[in-house]
Amino acid sequence: MSEISRVGRDRLSERGNLALVIAIALACGFVLTLLTSAQPLRAFHVLLTGAMPEIRWSAQGIEFSRVGRLATVVEETITLSLLGLAILIGFRARQFSLGADGQFFLAALAATFVSVKLGGIPWLGFPAAMLAALLVGLVFGAIPGVLKAYLSCNEIVTTLMLNVVAVQLYRYVITTGFNEAGAGFLVTPRIPAALLFAPLISGTAITAFLFVVPLAVCVCWFLINRTVIGYEMRVVADNPWFARQAGIPLVRPVILSMALGGAFAGLAGLHVSNALLKQLPVDMSPGIGLEGLVVALLARNDPKIVPIAAFLYAYLKTGAQVMERTTDVPKEMVLVIQACIVLCFAASTLVEFQAGTRLRDLMRRGRRKAASKAGGEHG
Amino acid sequence: MADSAMQGLFWATLIGALLRASTPILLAANGGLVTEACGATNVALEGLLLISAFFGVIGSAYAAIWMPGMGAGFYACLGLCCGLAAALIFSLVLAFLHLELGADLVIAGIGINMLAAGLTIYLMSVLTGDKGSTASLASYALPVLHIPGFATWPIVDVLLNSESRQGHHVLVYAALISCLGVHGLLARTSLGLRLRAIGESREAAIAAGIDVKKSQYLAFAISGLCAGLGGLHLSMGYLAVFQADMSAGRGFLALAAVFLGTRRPLGTVAASFLFGASTVLAAQLGLLAIPSQLVYMIPPFATLAAMAAAGAWRRARSRRTQAIGA
Repeated sequence: MSEISRVGRDRLSERGNLALVIAIALACGFVLTLLTSAQPLRAFHVLLTGAMPEIRWSAQGIEFSRVGRLATVVEETITLSLLGLAILIGFRARQFSLGADGQFFLAALAATFVSVKLGGIPWLGFPAAMLAALLVGLVFGAIPGVLKAYLSCNEIVTTLMLNVVAVQLYRYVITTGFNEAGAGFLVTPRIPAALLFAPLISGTAITAFLFVVPLAVCVCWFLINRTVIGYEMRVVADNPWFARQAGIPLVRPVILSMALGGAFAGLAGLHVSNALLKQLPVDMSPGIGLEGLVVALLARNDPKIVPIAAFLYAYLKTGAQVMERTTDVPKEMVLVIQACIVLCFAASTLVEFQAGTRLRDLMRRGRRKAASKAGGEHG
Repeated sequence: MADSAMQGLFWATLIGALLRASTPILLAANGGLVTEACGATNVALEGLLLISAFFGVIGSAYAAIWMPGMGAGFYACLGLCCGLAAALIFSLVLAFLHLELGADLVIAGIGINMLAAGLTIYLMSVLTGDKGSTASLASYALPVLHIPGFATWPIVDVLLNSESRQGHHVLVYAALISCLGVHGLLARTSLGLRLRAIGESREAAIAAGIDVKKSQYLAFAISGLCAGLGGLHLSMGYLAVFQADMSAGRGFLALAAVFLGTRRPLGTVAASFLFGASTVLAAQLGLLAIPSQLVYMIPPFATLAAMAAAGAWRRARSRRTQAIGA
């Protein structure tokens, strides 16, 4: 069989796998709904169709309603795509950085702060806000990288601890000084209109950021597949022993993958502050970093698929909010489905960063077992 | 004289608080240590704490609803069994995914954590109509153990029976016993020997004829039970209620404690107490006029600093040994 057709078949089976994983996860969610809800069919129908706009044919022609929900899906897709890319870069160097949450919070805060302070001079404030978000993400992402590379601190634990620090710092800054007096609740001052991304479609928050996503995907893809640092990241991930023998410094790819991931998370923060929310509430809820993880897994570590995966996830999330409003099923159903997706992906041995070794290992072990069994029968 | 007695009382009270704060971390960390010994990092400790805390409360509350007229101790016992069973099942699911389906332990562990977070809030909302806590359900706490005979020696009494003089919680003792138990298991039993052999080299263990899978399943089961006890201390300890995200990162602190303690029993216990102490310090500072956000930053900062220090120490030591070797 030729190499090309083998690759093609792998692609196909991979896509089939993706659909299968989503189907299994949804089925798990459905079983749980069946067990706990009085109207499971209706709830699931709403979950799967709630995010779609309603199209009605009438005498006046075609009427759309609930377009706002679709806009929400698109807005979420943008944020989740960027967070998915943030996690993906770390994965490519086999770094399980869970720090996207903290980077996202601090970057959003930094962008808002700079925007408010430099609100009078848009030509300076705009790039400054962007730079602030990217830099804060980069630096905060680099910290666990440095700790890992030089002091071999487990990155899962350090990033989780840094998340706590970041979220508390965010709340501290907004509570103690950087807030709008007389708002009735704790919230940052409003970002001046000149520094906001203008909506492309009125009535929504879909902005020029929509074009940033394909750009970010391209940058991410190029970085991983066409640059030296991307190559080093992949080698370190696939075979650190080989990397050491080949003289590739282990320190640089580890730190850079985490720092660059932080920059993407920072971009997501900028999107939320300067396009979606326009001012940040003190009780912005953490946990969005894990959604980035789900997106990265759904996309099978392929940056090109990240926006699709993000869209699917955003669609489900918006549907869940509608489901909670209109039926007796709480929206946390999506968390369960999300967990099932992660578990299914973990269980399917095709997961990119260990496909090679693990699969080969299993096959070799299987062969050995078969051989020893056959040997035993003969002897 | 009176002054020193006051000081003694203060410190005895503080030690009690330290024990209380360290208990869930200790139990979870000891659970993590068992799987770590056989080379498997249990990232799901956080989820296991949460799931057992939830099912402990639900078990005891529904036992009381379905079987009225029994004693509170009976309900608490059933809650204990429910919580432990839930943690055991989740831990074994993780082991199954890893050992049978070749799942990456870190990703599967994160998946279990997500499942625990989602499922507890989902079920809580369905069962009580409240996403914050199970305050509307009457659940039962596990008892405290009172050591009699020291009523006339206040400092000793506070030390042995906590500030309230009623006795330390039974799970505080369970945590202390678990430290000895895990050490004994790893150092003195054949299962421990097998687990350490697997941790040293899986291939060699297979070659030596050790049933690797069975041993690792057992390790995950023990890990689940330990973490389950830790979770029950949260929801059936001093407050008989489950709150959303009740574990609040303690499972991750436990994981950090295992790493910080260089995967050894004594080190893990010391690190768990360190994290417990930083929580107590945070609570003490909270009494002063320091913004709560800064106080909440103390435990994560302590963790980061301790991990960095341990990393630097390891690095320096390996340099030293290399120098000697050369």
